[in-house]
Amino acid sequence: MSGEGTELPSTTEERGERENEAAETAASVPDTDPPSTPPSVAPPSSATPPPTPPAAATPPPAATPHPAVTPASPKATSSTKIDVLLKPAGNAPILKKKKWTVDRHKQIGWISEFIRKFIKTETEDSVFVYVNQSFSPSPDTEIGTLFDCFGSDGKLVIYYCRTQAWG
Amino acid sequence: MADDREILREVWDGRIPVCFLMAHEEIETLEEPEPYFLLVPRQSYFPLVTDKAHRQFSKHLSPERQQSAEMWLEFDGEPLKWHYPVGVLFDLYGSARTLPWTLTVHYQNFPEDELLHCPCKEAVEAHFMATVKEADAMKHRGQIINGMQKKDHKQLWTGVQNDKFDQFWSVNRKLMESEGEDVFKHIPFRIHQPNTLPIQKLFKPTDDNGEPHTLEHLLTFAVPDLEWPDALKSKRVLVQGIEPSLSTPLLWMSEHLSYPDNFLHVCVVPKVENED
Repeated sequence: MSGEGTELPSTTEERGERENEAAETAASVPDTDPPSTPPSVAPPSSATPPPTPPAAATPPPAATPHPAVTPASPKATSSTKIDVLLKPAGNAPILKKKKWTVDRHKQIGWISEFIRKFIKTETEDSVFVYVNQSFSPSPDTEIGTLFDCFGSDGKLVIYYCRTQAWG
Repeated sequence: MADDREILREVWDGRIPVCFLMAHEEIETLEEPEPYFLLVPRQSYFPLVTDKAHRQFSKHLSPERQQSAEMWLEFDGEPLKWHYPVGVLFDLYGSARTLPWTLTVHYQNFPEDELLHCPCKEAVEAHFMATVKEADAMKHRGQIINGMQKKDHKQLWTGVQNDKFDQFWSVNRKLMESEGEDVFKHIPFRIHQPNTLPIQKLFKPTDDNGEPHTLEHLLTFAVPDLEWPDALKSKRVLVQGIEPSLSTPLLWMSEHLSYPDNFLHVCVVPKVENED
């Protein structure tokens, strides 16, 4: 996708503080990709996307955040990406950066692993993730599927916590 | 809803004869284990029914391996996902022409990329309840399931676990009510095809003019890369082991042919020559 090269996160934490501002911008900037592009098919004209953001570009708090999650950026609204809002529940720590852009085909188990690393949970500690503040999707559920069924206002809200929050 | 109770009963009573065989290369005793035969409820999950098979087969592992042996099942090279109902797995990969359904029991080389671990029966319960909640979020914005008491949730689960139709349905009927204010907002469905993750989207029981949607409408919407109904020349569409007419109203199917997890699981599989 043509927009992919611009999704590189900035190098400082200040980015996280400005995220809401950035998110609002995102909503108003028109998508440069054709909206009808099927999620799994890249337009023939698109050059090979740049591999992954360099490790140095990831925000410092992450141990090893996966490169495919990039902070939301104005150009990140292509049809293959989902805006995900991560919210803490219970006593879970607040993430400095709440809004992320995630590939539709990423699975929820991968997201919980990402959160676990981000909030520096010890490996034996669990991370529970919830959609709709009610149910915990199976780890092999695709983010895109959850967004299609439970997204609102152009984003998917995912709650995370260290103990079971809802049933 | 209640008028077709005998259909609910027939669906509930669906069974699949299964033969479990231990993977030959994993047998660590001189003596070979016998095959293990079981009539498995379609509505159940494999971890709920394989305790005895596990006890029999794990005796043929080396003592140190027995301690932490986690069983997983495979059919014809395909690892079987324990968190899908048994009937869905059979419709996807099995065939009524070759019964019993012969599954291979493994304890080694757990396919981490394809299967979830199942540490205990509580994991199955948690998965089951989460799926019921997800379905009700689609049907009633979660209001019915969230309005229930904890003991009702437990009764749904024990009904499935112990194969008790009346116990399960006395609670489940509240989730399946689709009249007046409670009419389903969307049909909780998953369309399964071999080797892919299921398709799940929002789809209303009726169109903009209030006309009932049918199975064909659903397939046209959710599986648009195939031409319906022409695709039936090369595909079979199975729900609870039967091939319903594509003109069957979708709401009726949701109410009567859903699995206990409250999802209508539709399997679209390649047609095999001379399939019965």
